[in-house]
Amino acid sequence: MREKLKHIFAQALMNLVRAGWGGLASIATIGMSFLIIGIFLLLVLQLNALVAKWREEFRMSVFLEDRITQTQLEILEKRIQNEAAVMSIAFTSKEEALASFRRELKGQESLLEGLGENPLPASFQLKIREGHQSPDAVRRLSAFLSRLEGVEDIQYGQEWIERISSAAQLMRVLGIIIGSILTLGSALIVSNTIRLAVYARAGEIEIMRLVGATKAYIRAPFLVEGMLQGSLGALLALGVLFAAYRYVAATFNVASPLFSTAADRGFLEPSMMATLVGGGALIGAIGSSLSVSRFLKA
Amino acid sequence: MIQLYHVYKTYGKDLEALVDVSLHVQKGEFVFLAGSSGAGKSTLLRLIFRDELPTSGQILVNGRNLIRMKPRAVPHLRRMLGIVFQDFKLLRDRTVEDNLALVTRVVGMPGPEGRRRVAQLLKLVGLSHKAKMPPYKLSGGEQQRVAIARGLMNDPLILLADEPTGNLDPELAVDVTRLLLEINSRGTTVLVATHDLKLAEEAGRRTVFLKKGRIVEEWP
Repeated sequence: MREKLKHIFAQALMNLVRAGWGGLASIATIGMSFLIIGIFLLLVLQLNALVAKWREEFRMSVFLEDRITQTQLEILEKRIQNEAAVMSIAFTSKEEALASFRRELKGQESLLEGLGENPLPASFQLKIREGHQSPDAVRRLSAFLSRLEGVEDIQYGQEWIERISSAAQLMRVLGIIIGSILTLGSALIVSNTIRLAVYARAGEIEIMRLVGATKAYIRAPFLVEGMLQGSLGALLALGVLFAAYRYVAATFNVASPLFSTAADRGFLEPSMMATLVGGGALIGAIGSSLSVSRFLKA
Repeated sequence: MIQLYHVYKTYGKDLEALVDVSLHVQKGEFVFLAGSSGAGKSTLLRLIFRDELPTSGQILVNGRNLIRMKPRAVPHLRRMLGIVFQDFKLLRDRTVEDNLALVTRVVGMPGPEGRRRVAQLLKLVGLSHKAKMPPYKLSGGEQQRVAIARGLMNDPLILLADEPTGNLDPELAVDVTRLLLEINSRGTTVLVATHDLKLAEEAGRRTVFLKKGRIVEEWP
């Protein structure tokens, strides 16, 4: 058994070396395909992370009329708290709003000097449960709240999240379509490289069949060669992707703090990288089987 | 050992390679299949090592029905057979010894036993001193002896030879025939296809004549 395995791997490696530029081209093409698949994967993951983070931070601001009384305020707070969609509620008074505004204007407080009285309204900040964050649900909640007594206005940045979320969705669909096409192409290219390897050894294969080699025995080295090409290609793609990712993440961290939060989650998870390499091996195996089966049948 | 019953083989619509061939070869027998090229000798051999299936008829080899044999079982049939061709089919990129060793790997014969077998067979065909040479540096007769040695690696019950002397000078052809007779004397059933009637005649063994796919005559 060990002898056999040694033979299979030795043959596969020898074939790969003999394949020379053809083998390299095959690996590079698979690498290219996987690079593109990897880029989509990373983008989708980053966007999803961003969306998740935003969803968690999602707040609805309920601005209150200036003339609201303390009793009205308490009743209003209770009513809002009773809403199923509301996870928590926090109150910001007019004074707190001004103080926080002042902090944000740091260095330019003079802008506020002309103001006679505090123009900022008091407000409630509502955390919305994730299950209630769909555009419809949020719109309904907003409409309901705006009709309550003492409420002046409702604000939320929910559309943004939906937009990013649907962008992520679109990316995923695009990624799957492009990925499938590239995967199919990669399999055909491996198939072609292996076909050359099979033809180069046609004489040997013929003799092996005549002296009683099983099909599996003949097929195994080519299968391993295909798997090697596929997994090496995927590894190559991961290497390039990682380097590019490090570069891009570093640049974005400086240029756009928005992305840094999502970039914090790091590169692809080990299990995902393993899946990609395994996928490469699988594609290689499929490509190889295509050629060898056709040859053995003939 | 080999039994053919009313075997027909037709290629395409009307190319009749074999027509109603019935043939019985006993265990330990030496049989020549004689006939000009296109008579159906090679087709007959290919049917016996199940490279192809007959259009109709039955074929039994060592009691196994080739028509009903599953493709999975074919490698095991082949291990009972030694097959030799006119063009030797030796691999140029490895030595004589490695050409034989290929068989040991294919059938999973362990290292030392395989090496012993290679040495033993090279001695039988008288080529021990050329074990490390590439086949193309050997003469045609020597190459055919290597091919025969390879055919014997599995210690086959039957040796099938398709025009083994077709590429050889007359003297070398006699040598190779002598070797085949010697192998037969050790108990292996041998079936040789040849167009060289003189060779068959000189060997004085049972000879079956094929013409246009039919058995037309038989000696003795």
